[in-house]
Amino acid sequence: MSKVEGGKVSGRQLMAVLVLSRVVPITVAFPMITELQVPQDAWIASLLGTLLSVPFVLLVVRLGLKFPDKTIIEYSELLLGKYLGKLVGLILVWYWISVVADVARELGEAYTIAIMPETPILVFMTVTAFLAANAARNGLEVVGRMGENGVWVVLFFLIVMFVLPYDEMRFRNLAPVLARGVRPLAAPTGTVVSFFLQFIVLGMVLPYLNRPKDAARYSVYAVLASGILMTWLTVVLVAVFGPTVSHLAMPAFSLSRMISIADFLERIEAITMGAWTLSSEIKLALFLWASAVGLAQVFGVSRFQPLVYPLGAIAVSFGILFFESTLDLQRFLQFKNFGLYSLMVTLGTMGVLYLAALLRGRLPVGPGVRR
Amino acid sequence: MLGMLWRLLSRRIERTQGSGRAETSSVEGRISSRLPVNRDRIKAAFGNSADLVLRDLRTGAQGKISALVVHIDGLVDKRQVAEAVIEQITDMGLKWDDPRQAYADLKARLLSASGVEEVDSLDRFITHIAGGHSGVLIDGIGKGLVCDTRGWEQRGIAEPTTEATVRGSKEGFVETLRTNTSLLRRRIMGSRLRIEEMRIGRITQTRVAIAYIAGVANDEIVQEVRNRLRRIDVDAIHESGNIEEYIEDAPFSPFPTMLRTERPDKVTGALLEGRVAVLTDGTPFVLIVPATFTMFLTSTEDYYERYFIGSVLRLLRVASFFISLTLPSLYVAVTTFHQEMLPTPLILSIAAQREGIPFPAVVEALLMEFVFETLREAGVRLPRVVGQAVSIIGALVVGDAAIRAGLASPAMVMVVAFTGIASFATPVFSLAIGVRLLRFLVTALAGAFGLFGIVAGMFALLIHLTCLRSFGVPFLEPLAPIVLSDLKDALIRAPWWALRTRPQFTGKKALTRQAPGHRPRPPSPEEKEVHHLAGKEGGK
Repeated sequence: MSKVEGGKVSGRQLMAVLVLSRVVPITVAFPMITELQVPQDAWIASLLGTLLSVPFVLLVVRLGLKFPDKTIIEYSELLLGKYLGKLVGLILVWYWISVVADVARELGEAYTIAIMPETPILVFMTVTAFLAANAARNGLEVVGRMGENGVWVVLFFLIVMFVLPYDEMRFRNLAPVLARGVRPLAAPTGTVVSFFLQFIVLGMVLPYLNRPKDAARYSVYAVLASGILMTWLTVVLVAVFGPTVSHLAMPAFSLSRMISIADFLERIEAITMGAWTLSSEIKLALFLWASAVGLAQVFGVSRFQPLVYPLGAIAVSFGILFFESTLDLQRFLQFKNFGLYSLMVTLGTMGVLYLAALLRGRLPVGPGVRR
Repeated sequence: MLGMLWRLLSRRIERTQGSGRAETSSVEGRISSRLPVNRDRIKAAFGNSADLVLRDLRTGAQGKISALVVHIDGLVDKRQVAEAVIEQITDMGLKWDDPRQAYADLKARLLSASGVEEVDSLDRFITHIAGGHSGVLIDGIGKGLVCDTRGWEQRGIAEPTTEATVRGSKEGFVETLRTNTSLLRRRIMGSRLRIEEMRIGRITQTRVAIAYIAGVANDEIVQEVRNRLRRIDVDAIHESGNIEEYIEDAPFSPFPTMLRTERPDKVTGALLEGRVAVLTDGTPFVLIVPATFTMFLTSTEDYYERYFIGSVLRLLRVASFFISLTLPSLYVAVTTFHQEMLPTPLILSIAAQREGIPFPAVVEALLMEFVFETLREAGVRLPRVVGQAVSIIGALVVGDAAIRAGLASPAMVMVVAFTGIASFATPVFSLAIGVRLLRFLVTALAGAFGLFGIVAGMFALLIHLTCLRSFGVPFLEPLAPIVLSDLKDALIRAPWWALRTRPQFTGKKALTRQAPGHRPRPPSPEEKEVHHLAGKEGGK
């Protein structure tokens, strides 16, 4: 057990946190939808992407369980040697920080575009990042517990959103199926997968599971659960908005605008926005935690807590600096940018690590490695 | 952050004052065999206090043996002193002329009185007397006898004033420790109830008792309570609130991590869940640890009324907890930032009401909240006669005049009033007061950032609550981490026959509470047959 983090999480908490972190890119913005050429087939891309992501997650879990009490940062050093291993570790930390940066920016954009246009975006980003860093500082245990609670709130609002605009749904909109073949589905499927690849953060969480046996089961559940939610959402979106859905900047948000409860609560989007904020916060907390612990382990720092706030601040400034505008952010989240980047980083590192593990014949290097 | 400031500050204070143990005054040495010496030293120890009674007696053959009876007036039962102590000494009559024989005889006679102890340290002797015992000294003997003659004026057991219920026991704790432990004993007749006593406070020597049930309570928790209590080294304990502040887990949290109650049945319920109670002499308020968040939203009635009612009432309390925390802030956020959320007629009427009001909604809300809190505080402290006047003034000032003067809108008054009512629905005052404080913060956040501010505030609160622990048990226990088997008695209360296990964290030593199959059901035909036959046989 590495001493940097001392907490423990349960399989259920892991699943909750993963689902929440996957729900963020479908609720705040929905990158897959916006690059659709054939919106009718969105649900196919979503399902396909989900299924394609399962093997990747299993790979991460499998490799992780070979080193039952080592994080991905630590075992990459074992597998690749000191310098190459640290390099891989830094790449992963960078990747997580970039995820934090774009989630924070996304949330800020959503607020400034839709709810409070006069407030500077920095306010939202700073506040969310500060709170998330505060949660992350308290360790994985706290993040896991909050995820366990938060997931119910988020699920509640998702399901409300799925069910209440029933009047507006026209399932005819879903036809025709595969009118233009499979080719146009490649990019959206890639986007779906690229977001699932963020589950490489599992590599940080696995050693802290209280029952490592559950790891594979609950991570696959997490993939499937969030895949089902996503598919459901695409179906509802297409049914409500028809082919125009791909022009919406924030489809889920527009969907919640359609809801009217008993002519009293007219436009509850601000409330659903609250739920999305919750999920974003927990995702930020998880990734900030992962990057802080990762960085601490790369540089052999004994405590990760002092790194959390600075990393949060760095991520917020990245979030501001990386993207010029909302449009820029949207373009970044498309397959040809974020998708390829994500694929390259995660598949690349996992591939290298797995290869190294194979070549070394799953060598037991150092203490704590199971044969 | 507050913690850090505090640490800095306290380091300064320590440097200036120098750390030292609390002062103490004790009488050194053993009891002398010469009576006048002892007499003087006892007198000196109490500093000629007016309520110290020293009675010199002469007894034995030709009154050769002189004895001294010492007690504090008002702490002893006078009849008992006369019958069990003084009469015994004089009754020894003319039999003895050797003090040693007289002493042995007296010791045997006093045994008929309850609780006799032989002491030879003067300090202990004096401590006993200060605690209401009577002390007997005989000239020529270097030992003293102390007998338990305690008896003082105490309030009768009455209905607890802060926790009245419709159904259930009407008994409340009183200020006397022994009476309080007896109230617990009466409810748990089995011998497994353990009561450990200690004294805390160098000057007050307050008696503090720990109660738990052997075989149910988690040993680690009991030991932790003992350790924390033993660490207290202060001059005085005035109320259980002092103890709470010395041993609680989160001194900087607005949330209490120890539950206090004056209901014996609440304590026994907690003891049976494996929790530990801390009883303090001089106060009817008993502390229960470890406490979890849901316990603060629980009333004992939930367990006595049928589970359906109990569950609904508990949900109502949860709802009112959130209302009392967020309603003013929601109102502020919606009226200032998100008007589109309300139906047009409503928002128009609110806008019309706010027409002449000079403040933004957030200022209006904070102002009205402040007025309301002041009124409430005034109402609590005032004598009942004046209290009515205050409530009339309050109703006029807040309800009517403020609106007519154009300082507040009727909608705001309603929001504030409802928030106030909702906060009264929280059964435990110490939680309600934390929420009252936080409400101001959340309202200010809502005024600045709208719903985002509320969400941020709630998230910060959730982080804080998730981090809290009470004696090793997570404060949000069945909710975060989610413990499925404990959810049956958290936000709702499952029927008694379904409450088969104790809470996982506190009751893991003996999880099962009852035999399975307690769910009532109509007898099946076979059973009916059996009963029928049994009845017939019995008839014959």
